[in-house]
Amino acid sequence: MKRIVYREWLVQPQRYWGLLAILAALVAVGGLSALYMEHEGHWVTGMTNSVVWGTPHVFAVFLIIAASGALNVASIGTVFDKKAYKPLARLSGLLAVALLIGGLLVLVLDLGRPDRLLVAMTTYNFSSIFAWNIFLYSGFAAIVIGYLWTMAERKGNHLQKPVGTFAFLWRLALTTGTGSIFGFLVGREAYDAAILAPMFVVMSFAYGLAVYMLVLFYTFDADGRPIGPAMLKRLRNLLGLFVAAILYFTLVYHLTKLYGAKHSDIEAFILINGGLYSAMFWVGWILIGGLLPLGIIYHPELNQQRDWITTACALVIVGGFAAMYVIIVGSQAYPQEMFPGHNVIQFGAPGDVGGRIAPYSPSLPEILLGIGGVGIALLITAVGVRVLQFLPESLADRDVDPHASARPAA
Amino acid sequence: MTQLALVIDLNVCVGCHACVTSCKQWNTSGWAGPMVDENAYDANPTGTFFNRVQTYEVGSFPSTETVHFPKSCLHCEDPPCVPVCPTGASYKREDNGVVLVDYDKCIGCKYCSWACPYGVRELDEQQQVMKKCTLCIDRITDQTLPEAERKPACVIACPTNARLYGDVHDPDSEVSIAIRERGGYALMPEWGTKPANHYLPRQKTRMHVTEEDLQRSNNPLTKEDITVYSGEETLDDVSW
Repeated sequence: MKRIVYREWLVQPQRYWGLLAILAALVAVGGLSALYMEHEGHWVTGMTNSVVWGTPHVFAVFLIIAASGALNVASIGTVFDKKAYKPLARLSGLLAVALLIGGLLVLVLDLGRPDRLLVAMTTYNFSSIFAWNIFLYSGFAAIVIGYLWTMAERKGNHLQKPVGTFAFLWRLALTTGTGSIFGFLVGREAYDAAILAPMFVVMSFAYGLAVYMLVLFYTFDADGRPIGPAMLKRLRNLLGLFVAAILYFTLVYHLTKLYGAKHSDIEAFILINGGLYSAMFWVGWILIGGLLPLGIIYHPELNQQRDWITTACALVIVGGFAAMYVIIVGSQAYPQEMFPGHNVIQFGAPGDVGGRIAPYSPSLPEILLGIGGVGIALLITAVGVRVLQFLPESLADRDVDPHASARPAA
Repeated sequence: MTQLALVIDLNVCVGCHACVTSCKQWNTSGWAGPMVDENAYDANPTGTFFNRVQTYEVGSFPSTETVHFPKSCLHCEDPPCVPVCPTGASYKREDNGVVLVDYDKCIGCKYCSWACPYGVRELDEQQQVMKKCTLCIDRITDQTLPEAERKPACVIACPTNARLYGDVHDPDSEVSIAIRERGGYALMPEWGTKPANHYLPRQKTRMHVTEEDLQRSNNPLTKEDITVYSGEETLDDVSW
């Protein structure tokens, strides 16, 4: 394998600044939306006392788990010594930090009192998984920045393996923590399941890799860097494996819930008669996010074409948002039943609907805040690859494939 | 340890919402306020309430009946909302067992709302911190009030005395006696949260009175009475 040469992103200035302007506009609109919701109060959102986490959390949780998943590409190279993945490592670290910052900003700005972040950073209740996540998230950003330093600085190269391994273990803890925010909850019927933590880990693998591949394809195409078919095949097959694993975990999760009669109502709601949520589950989570990408990835002809692989990545991301929507919003919309089988005919005071499916439709500021988070993640990435040497000059097979010379020339 | 709580008698609750309005009045103007509303008099009102009355229909038509079920924070002995709070803003008072929220520490993450299986936590739409029933902590601990008034506003307001208040750990308290003697039960005990508030079940009193009872067919006098009345004045006709 040749020595890997990294170069700044050499895209045309007009294109680069145009991209930055678009992303900055998204960030600005997201920021203004947060300000508007903060100023006007909670009622300008679609959220109620039943659905307390809405669309911003869908974006935030997606970005956070995609962040830990994006780091996976670097981990495969460093921790598992797959040499072909080494050139991909720097972008992987950058994307992980960028996505995490985007997700955390959305999360923080969706708090009732984002101005009290200092309280959250100084007053901890360690029996709360939420408090642990504050450490897991900030620690992740610090460790990945250290990891990037070991990759970029020659003096730090010898630390790459231990730091990379530590980052890998940390990211597993982080996604386990994120999954456990829901898995530890006994108060809602859809949760209280240990499998949510590993399911989130597997989801992070797929979503993070899909985002990584899209960014890689875009940046490489923009300034004409080559990606070899072997590298493409490697990434494509890895994505297929992760998407299949999501389907497997989804199946086990629902089978477990379905087995006992106790949860048959919530399962019927999610799977059959939940309206939008059932449609999101089957069409979004399963079809768009699972079966269609798998069909493309394992199709003998389509999987040879970059455009189709790009489509598969985009579908995985769309499916990921649908999955987050079903997990986060759908499970809150389903009512907490005090007296199963009895109808609430009147709910005393106004403002909420006890005992019925809670209505929730995302308000525009909520959506814009979420998109702002995506914008900031991409903005950090774009600036990062432009000013620092994150992207390898070439991912052509002869440059990265350790066995390329052993293969007969095709 | 003292555990203050409410015991609500579903037998006499008529769903008048006096507890709801008195709660709102006391708390919105005091320590726990404001509890803001929007469109309070409009078609789609919304607002923060510490106490709500849910009305249930029980049974199948036509054999149905209506049950009014007032619900507020149950002040669980093992409250699931407390350990999940990242900043420790949710806490349970050591001295009287009341579960409270420190508004200055709450960051509005709403995770406690996820954890509460009873759905009694509400975000103040304007102040954007989590709120809930305080058992009128500023009233019940106010030593300047006469002892008879050191009760939650809802208890004082209830016209049918459906709301009892006291220490459920004291076996001789009014609430403990009511729970013990009248089948008081906790809401969803299977969660293991040990709610301090209890409910007294609805009871039906049916009298079994037969025609014979009314006629006193077994009246021994009918056989043994030897008096023969023939329209003359008896003691019953005497006007006092």
